[in-house]
Amino acid sequence: MPHFKIPKEKEVPLGCITPAPVGEQPMMITGNWRIYRPVLDPEKCNLCMSCIIFCPDACWQLNEEEDEPVWNAKYCKGCAICVRECTSGALSNEYELNFQDGVVRLEKPF
Amino acid sequence: MAKEMTLSGCASSAQAAKLAKVEVICSYPIRPYTAIMMELAKMVANGELDAEFIHGEGEHAQLSVVMGACAAGARALTGSSGVGVTYAMETYSPIAGGRLPLQMMIADRALDPPGDFGSEQTDAMSTRDQGWLLGWAENPQEAFDNSLINYRVGEDHRVLLPQMVCQDGYFVSHIPGKCIIPDQSQVDEFLPPYKLPHPLDPKRPISHGPQIRPDQGTIMDLQRAEAMLDAPKVIREAIEDFNRIFGRKYSPFVEEFMTDGAEMVFFMQGAHAMTARHAVRHLRQQGAKVGLVKLRFVRPWPTDDVANILSKFKAVGVIETSTSYGGAMKGGNLLHEVRASLYDCPQRPLTTSFMAGLGGEMVPLKEFYWMAEVMAAGLKAGKMKKNVFWVNHEFDA
Repeated sequence: MPHFKIPKEKEVPLGCITPAPVGEQPMMITGNWRIYRPVLDPEKCNLCMSCIIFCPDACWQLNEEEDEPVWNAKYCKGCAICVRECTSGALSNEYELNFQDGVVRLEKPF
Repeated sequence: MAKEMTLSGCASSAQAAKLAKVEVICSYPIRPYTAIMMELAKMVANGELDAEFIHGEGEHAQLSVVMGACAAGARALTGSSGVGVTYAMETYSPIAGGRLPLQMMIADRALDPPGDFGSEQTDAMSTRDQGWLLGWAENPQEAFDNSLINYRVGEDHRVLLPQMVCQDGYFVSHIPGKCIIPDQSQVDEFLPPYKLPHPLDPKRPISHGPQIRPDQGTIMDLQRAEAMLDAPKVIREAIEDFNRIFGRKYSPFVEEFMTDGAEMVFFMQGAHAMTARHAVRHLRQQGAKVGLVKLRFVRPWPTDDVANILSKFKAVGVIETSTSYGGAMKGGNLLHEVRASLYDCPQRPLTTSFMAGLGGEMVPLKEFYWMAEVMAAGLKAGKMKKNVFWVNHEFDA
């Protein structure tokens, strides 16, 4: 029995469960939290996969055809764990402001 | 056939868990509730109870384990006492917000500092606004019964809230009393199998406990508030069925003892009500018009029941076995709720509160007699001298 008015568009499922995402969770974009971003120099990369293993948000994935780690800008929070763990110095940390599409420049990110 | 046994509150609670067929139990030792887990561990080891028995690393872990188990669709049980209850504080809101109806058995214990093993209700009382059902048992039988009643109410799809089933440490948890332990078939009739509407299931993958947005937060608070609003109706139904199936005579929320013709009443919850009954009998023999009103649920707070029953009397003495330092009444918690419940009544009794039974002290008969005298003096004067009396520690007493 509802005791209060909840508009249709504001309804939340019981316990706020969400459909388990396949691949990405579009309901919770976290890339706009970033003030630094990791930048990969493919020349230096020795494919040790440390970035892929250590990223807590699975923002590095291997593109098997190109043999290259691929960065996911939508969810990377800029924690720089990958930069620290990189064994070949291929990753560097750069200010988000240095990029034209930097999330700190956006009026409404994503 | 139902059988009569002599059990402590901890032992009777373990029997209730067994008959409720709990599937996941998570333990961590702290006295006095530990004895519940010792009993359950024996039952699991002896093959009497088919449940996963997990040792947590602490109370926070305990609650987290049963939260996951409950989300996966298992009837889950944990418990604690005193600082253990408060150590797990962070977990109470997400469990209620996630609408996971697990049960926590609490044998209450005074909080630190410094460490005190005695009974006091402040531990679980300080969690009362998180969306859990909460109430105290007076004796081992009521501890047993409350466990089954709470599982049934909490798991009802109109409610879906976790439950703290409390008993006073030592006074109930460790003093054996007569218990009628019913048959499995009776319990099965009363308590249907647990079925969560939103379980974790590999075939239909969902996420529990995601990060939410601020506008979703309000709606989730509102849904929890609605569940609490619906809970009293479900409790009334459950108590009716319980009384029918098990042959007991519980009132859902507020019980009266020798209140016919009473002018003043003690209002209280938990173990000391047993002493209060004796005190009321003795006082009646001496001609004092005293009765006892006992509370069975703190959450949901039975506003209407409290108002209807207490407004029949001229004076109410609330016995506080918990503390609310600096609160509106400068004493315990219950008088706040009692006064708020009575505010809209055309006829309000005089009210006051008594700080008694703190830190594990007993509330002996002579203290009840003293409290009755204080109430009688208030009645005579037409005004209570104070809102809170610290029993044994008032200068002019």
